Amino acid sequence: MGVMRYVAKRLGLYLAVLFIGLTITFLLPRLMPINPVDGYIGQIQSRANGSISAEAIAELRVNLEQLYGLEGDLFTQYLAYLKRVVLNFDFGPSFTYYPQPVSAMILNALPWTLGLLLMSTFIAWVMGNMVGLVAGYFHRKKAASVLEFVGILLYPIPYYILAVTVLLLLAYVFPIFPLSATFPVGQMTPEKFGMIIYNSLLPGITLVLAGFGWNILSMKALAVATTEEPYVTYARLKGASNWMRMTRYVFRNALLPQVTALALSLGMVFNGALLTEMIFSYPGIGLVMRTAATGGDYNVLYGAITLSIIAVATAGLVIDLIYPLLDPRIRHR
Amino acid sequence: MIRLNNVVASYRTGRGSINAVDGVTIEIPDGCILGVAGESGCGKSTLMKVLYGDILSPMTLASGSIEYGFVDRRGAPVTSHTVQQEWFRRVSYVPQSSMNSLNPVIRISQQFIDFPGNDPDKRRVLEQVRAYIGKLGLPAEALDAYPHQLSGGMRQRMMIAMATFFQPELILADEPTTALDVVVQKEILMLLMELQEEMGNTIVLVSHDMGVHYQVTHRMLIMYAAKAVEYGDSDSVFEAPLHPYTRMLISSLPTIGDDRARDGIPGRPPSLWGELRGCRFADRCPFATDRCRVEEPVLVEHRPGHFAACHYAGAEMPSGGVQWQ
Ligand SMILES: Nc1ncnc2c1ncn2[C@@H]1O[C@H](COP(=O)(O)OP(=O)(O)OP(=O)(O)O)[C@@H](O)[C@H]1O
Ligand SMILES: [Mg+2]
Repeated sequence: MGVMRYVAKRLGLYLAVLFIGLTITFLLPRLMPINPVDGYIGQIQSRANGSISAEAIAELRVNLEQLYGLEGDLFTQYLAYLKRVVLNFDFGPSFTYYPQPVSAMILNALPWTLGLLLMSTFIAWVMGNMVGLVAGYFHRKKAASVLEFVGILLYPIPYYILAVTVLLLLAYVFPIFPLSATFPVGQMTPEKFGMIIYNSLLPGITLVLAGFGWNILSMKALAVATTEEPYVTYARLKGASNWMRMTRYVFRNALLPQVTALALSLGMVFNGALLTEMIFSYPGIGLVMRTAATGGDYNVLYGAITLSIIAVATAGLVIDLIYPLLDPRIRHR
Repeated sequence: MIRLNNVVASYRTGRGSINAVDGVTIEIPDGCILGVAGESGCGKSTLMKVLYGDILSPMTLASGSIEYGFVDRRGAPVTSHTVQQEWFRRVSYVPQSSMNSLNPVIRISQQFIDFPGNDPDKRRVLEQVRAYIGKLGLPAEALDAYPHQLSGGMRQRMMIAMATFFQPELILADEPTTALDVVVQKEILMLLMELQEEMGNTIVLVSHDMGVHYQVTHRMLIMYAAKAVEYGDSDSVFEAPLHPYTRMLISSLPTIGDDRARDGIPGRPPSLWGELRGCRFADRCPFATDRCRVEEPVLVEHRPGHFAACHYAGAEMPSGGVQWQ
């Protein structure tokens, strides 16, 4: 199969997944029995003690339906929705921060979340794989089980306990980092940038620790299984060095499932963002989502959900495009 | 000449240790193809591991020694302790399954040159390799392929190319063709024979197939329950076997014009875990006497270069196919 055809096929699949995801986000809220417009009008009515005139309410209803994209029949709404979201990445205004557009809020928060989570997920993956590889390759040696022990110790700790422990330890007991960090906004200067990096270290460390354990255990198990493969034995009997066997034989083969795991966890970064950003008051998507959820800010929630769908689908696309580079059996099929 | 002096190889396991090769003493002349035959579990693969110097836990070389008959770079005779330095250059090995013995994710050319101490000029080595595999009937592009792109026969040819590239003195092949279909099996064996004739090295070939041994080997070693029970020139062993066990193995070979059903040898070899007394074959031997059950026979030269471990090896026995009740 030609490379172009393969890529075209994967891209087509990617677009189809996105399209289906968008359609579901469009349909789901419209299938719900509660209507956000009614809810909002009710709120305003009760705040104004029912003193708003019927015309004013009707006008308000029209305005709100326009904002929510609820004008016309379902199909007209759907086309308008696709047009807004796909062409302009427009989810309408936020209600809590009216009239700020949702897309602006999301785009402001996005670099924060991506910077912190992509970086820490990747670091945890690289470190976990290196430690897991050595632990797995030398699994018959006593010293290697110490490495695995790190994974066994870290892996089962729930994230919030880990995060709070690290926070207490590194911000309270040993005040290396601020207990409640501030993240400057606005025009970026070198000092501000340094401060952001410094203040991001603490949430970053907790995320790396959280991902580290799983990566160690997973890579260790894969490496142990791979060392039993006949091609590793054959390489040993050829006299290939430990380094050569560990890297070119065991690692290259054990890597394949780990790449899938990495891409999947990168696709899920927005889920991981929620807790981290709440604990460390970090101004990313997670915090935006929490504010929106408590305030009933539907447009913001749809924006965030759409973003998650894009992230997961993109991760899948990246796996499909990278995998053939790593596994010739898929490349030459 | 490769000399095995009373080689005992044992496996140490949780419930104790067993001798999977138990006191084998033979001399393998240079430039011959030695066939090793015997039932499953008799210690063929263990003997091959010892010969190769791949002595890893739980296996140990409990006693005995091997002299390879050649010296290392410093001029010292190569022994079981130093033979690892000679892997693939002086002593090489053809694995059983070529499919699983090649790394699926890197090119064959890479796997051909990852020997330690290779010429640092990879391009030059690869040129030599390319020329060499051409001689073995492999297309030059096969080197740039990944393992899954080659057929089973081509892969096994490649394994033979790897094992013979440095023209080693000794090549070990433990059932090198079991994973292949009969036609390809023939081709691979012919190739091994041709290369051996050309380079004059020694090949030790393990196979379950007595027909293969008959066609390919110069000398035969028959093993039974960790012991060497017969050893001699293939012609002599096949024409006039001395040990009843060897006769049974040979009579299990089909002959043209004879379509009687051929059963395996009835019974099973003794467990190596239990107490072993007398001749280990006695329980299954139709000629066994009380002496066999008590006194262990040793490997004795009955004819020039033809050894057997049987108290009655020289005695008259019913010739032709042995009949079983
Ligand atoms: N790793 C091991 N640990 C313990 N015992 C072993 C081990 N490997 C082999 N053995 C035992 O050693 C004996 C000889 O095994 P070996 O593999 O040498 O037999 P074989 O003649 O090659 O058999 P096959 O024809 O099935 O390949 C067997 O009884 C086997 O159970
Ligand atoms: Mg075997």
